[in-house]
Amino acid sequence: MTVLESGSRRPVPDKREVRELLMEYHESGDPALRDRIVEIHLGLAEYLARRFDRRGEPLDDLVQVASLALIHAVDRFDPTRGLEFTTFAVPTIVGELKRYFRDKGWALRVPRRLQELHLRLATTVAELTHELGRSPSIPEIADRAQASTDEVIEAMEAGRAYRSSSLDAPISGDDPTAQSWKLGQPDDNFTGIDERSELASLLRDLPERERTILLLRFYEGMTQSEIAERIGISQMHVSRLLSRTLEQLRRRAAEEDRAI
Amino acid sequence: MGDEIRLALPASPEHVPLARLTVASLAGALGFSFDAVEDLRIAVDELCYLLGADGRPGSIHFEFDVDKNSLVIIGEGAPGGPVREFAELSEQILAATVSEYTVERVDDHMTCRVVRRREEALA
Repeated sequence: MTVLESGSRRPVPDKREVRELLMEYHESGDPALRDRIVEIHLGLAEYLARRFDRRGEPLDDLVQVASLALIHAVDRFDPTRGLEFTTFAVPTIVGELKRYFRDKGWALRVPRRLQELHLRLATTVAELTHELGRSPSIPEIADRAQASTDEVIEAMEAGRAYRSSSLDAPISGDDPTAQSWKLGQPDDNFTGIDERSELASLLRDLPERERTILLLRFYEGMTQSEIAERIGISQMHVSRLLSRTLEQLRRRAAEEDRAI
Repeated sequence: MGDEIRLALPASPEHVPLARLTVASLAGALGFSFDAVEDLRIAVDELCYLLGADGRPGSIHFEFDVDKNSLVIIGEGAPGGPVREFAELSEQILAATVSEYTVERVDDHMTCRVVRRREEALA
């Protein structure tokens, strides 16, 4: 049985019932008991997921992550140690949510206003580039985005902390055409690179889109805005992919002690 | 003569954003385009890599010389990780992102100098 905490919509599990269920599940391993314990605590999982809402990831996904973490917590909890289940479950679920953000979304240390500005800049830069027929200056971007130049620069840097959930999926609020990116045929070869070099070998292991963007920028001399237009994604996304690809190459070169 | 700004940071990846923010702020104030500011952030990232920002003991020193038409960056440190020589990709990155660059290594000391002129189309 669960009761509602006064002044809150979050159901509070009956501690005695939970203790008995956990003890019984610990002894029998009966999946029906586990389901019951999970069901009782789903409100807790959702409550914790909501604490991470509006950080760039859909709430439904967060609730799912929290619910899976809850199941793992039930499995790993040892009731014979005398701890309350929630004392164990809360840090487990919160830890899993934080890990999810590290792996899939924004690093938590990026303030929300910078996350939002970063995503807004994708559109702002594209509009201004189109209107002016050239790459806009930072004050022009700041003026259009109704932000200070310092905030624009911080938001550019914040992009480093963004991890899209899939390299091939469009990023929420940015790049609606990301999945329809179009590669130029002649550019995905290794123009100007010795095919037998260490660098060529590392480049071969990159996803095709990342390799193409890198070659277009550093070997074909295209600007980020030209690449963005050609590939059909925002310039902010090109910037993120370039920096991420370079980081990846340096890491791999370091692991293999290669000079690239 | 323009302004001169100096920045010293531990040779560690977590401090590289400071160098990127500094160069972006200076280039933005000079009226450089978004493309040019992005280029300079990548160039400084590469300089940090060349100058050993891989967590070893030691530090990286940057000097930024700003005048109304250009930004000159001089970086000094120990040669980075596996970069035994001024490697192919690093050279290509600097060639694509700045107007001029030189990299000199004497024993365990490396000096990089790059210049980005205002709104210069880079090949």
